[in-house]
This record gives sequence, C-alpha cells and structure tokens, in this order.
Amino acid sequence: MKLEDFELGGTALSSSDIKKGKVLTTTWEPDLAYAWDDGVAIGRYLAELREGRLIGRVCYKCRRIMIPPRMFCELCFRPSDAWIPLKDTGTVNTFSICYINWDASRRKPGEPPLIPSVIEIDGASKGMGIMHMLGEVDPKDVKIGMKVRAVWKKPAERIGAITDILYFKPLRGKKTAGRRKKR
Amino acid sequence: MAITERVTDTTKPTFWEGHIPVNYVYTYGQAGEKFFRAVKDKGTFLATYCSACDVSYVPPKIYCDRCFAKIDQYIDVGTEGFVESFTISFKHLDGTDRREPRILAMIRIDGTDGGLIHYLVGIDPEDIAIGLRVRAVFNPRRTRTGSIGDIVGFEPMKRRSR
Repeated sequence: MKLEDFELGGTALSSSDIKKGKVLTTTWEPDLAYAWDDGVAIGRYLAELREGRLIGRVCYKCRRIMIPPRMFCELCFRPSDAWIPLKDTGTVNTFSICYINWDASRRKPGEPPLIPSVIEIDGASKGMGIMHMLGEVDPKDVKIGMKVRAVWKKPAERIGAITDILYFKPLRGKKTAGRRKKR
Repeated sequence: MAITERVTDTTKPTFWEGHIPVNYVYTYGQAGEKFFRAVKDKGTFLATYCSACDVSYVPPKIYCDRCFAKIDQYIDVGTEGFVESFTISFKHLDGTDRREPRILAMIRIDGTDGGLIHYLVGIDPEDIAIGLRVRAVFNPRRTRTGSIGDIVGFEPMKRRSR
C-alpha cells in the first residue's frame, strides 16, 4: 500500500489561510532566555578571545593540540594536560558560499554572500579548527588550503565571544595552497 | 589523575547568555474553532454531547473520551455556571509579585460535565466559595478576536450581602 492510498484525516491549512483569518488562531512567543555555564575550557577560551588570543589544550598521550580547548581528551579518555597559545592564522579547511542569513532570510540584493568556513588554526593539530566567516575576499578566490588571518574587533569592543574575531582574511604574499605539514 | 583546574571562587564562573527566538501560531482544531466562533460572534459557549454516554464536553471535543465515538452534536450551553474550585494568585506569570491578587477558578458550566478555567472578577477574595454561581463577562463584540481572552472573567450572578 502506498502513501497516496491512505485518506489523510485532519483539515489541510496553508499559511495564507491563517493570514486571511479563515481559521481562528492564537499566537505566543515563549521567552526562551538561557544562561549556559561555559565551563573551565570554554571560559578560558572566551576570556583569551577578549585579549585577542586563541588558545588550545594539549593531550600529552595522543599529543593532539585541540581548539576549541577541552578539559578532557575524548580519544584517550583522560584529562587534557596544558594550555597552548596558538596563532591567529590558519588554513581554510572547507567553506561554503552562503546567500541566506542565519535566520534563513535571503541576503538583500547587493549584499555580498557570507562565506562560513572551517579554519585549521596554526599551532593546533591537523584538522583542528574553528568555524568562522571569511572576509575581504572575493568568493571566487576562496580556495581550500588558503592561508588566512583573524581580523579582530578593537580591544575596547571585545566582550569575550567568538565574534570578537570579525572574520578571517587572506594572508597576502603567502602561497601555501598545498597541505602544510603540521604536528 | 584529576582535573587540575577547578573553579573555587563562586563569582568566577562565566556563562553565555542567549535567547532562542520561538513563536508559534496555534489553530484551535475543529471543535475549538466552533467554540471560539460562538464566543466571538454570539458571546456564548458551545458543548458537544455524546448521547450514548450522556456526557457533554466543554470545551467541546470531537471524540467522546469514554466511548471513543465521533461526536457531531453541538449544543449551546449558555454562559452560567458555578465555582468548582479556585485559587488566589499573588504572582504574575513570570513569577514576580502582584499587587492585587488574581483569582483563578475552574467554572463548571451549567448542564455540562465540562468547564473552563478562567478569572473570577468583580468579587472580593473573601466572598468566594465553592458552589458560587457565576456568569461569563465578555469583551465588547467588536473587540473580540476569537480567543480565551475575549472572556474578561466570570462574575458572581448576585452580589452577596454581607
């Protein structure tokens, strides 16, 4: 038996039926405010972002340097061992050219597309990266393997958030399109 | 091996605040639609009646709770009833204190097995009693939108002389 063979119950309504007032409705906006305890690792990570620095954690057993930092190595199943300052440069691991905003609304005509990207941070282990936007670059010119550098907000404007970095921009004069060897 | 970094100062933990934007539009369903149309247009309440079980539902339901039969018999049950249960609330919805208490009551609608939970209005909290006869007070017809808010509350049918 196929889905089409079933006679579906209920009353089919479209959003225009609701807008036109064909049926009565009630609306509500629940106040879903939350405060998330960011913990030791992310707490330090955000505090360092306010200072314009990126920081990771190292596990001495598997020797991975991890960003974002975590207090527990999920591979070795043991606490991580030390804080490692990292550079604010990195390599584009993957990216997307995005014509919609976070709330799924379309970018306005003339607005450039967003380029969300995973950026492997220099000093961290291979494959360790953070997600951020790329900027000051033509979407056509973005390449996997491209070297980029963080563009920070002014110190007074930083609040201890990932948005203290405005975006990553291409690092000029460095042709490192190939895979660089990292620890 | 233990986690070496511990937070010992309770003012130190940091947190991230956010707000999840969620809003919804709820339709009342078949029976709810009829019920609130009657409230909006006629200022009265509708019940559904299951003749097999001799049970009437306010707010109306399209199926009988007891025998699961579909019900399509709607009856106008008027706007009068009595206080089945009540509570006096000194809090707003968000938990903050109210100056004047708000009285919430379960009103059994006359001649039905159902009822509505709504406010009691026009009465001193000390004068409320279970069994008190009450009548619904509606907003003026032109301001009604077809919602539970079209009912201001239930007021005593006779002022009690003290």
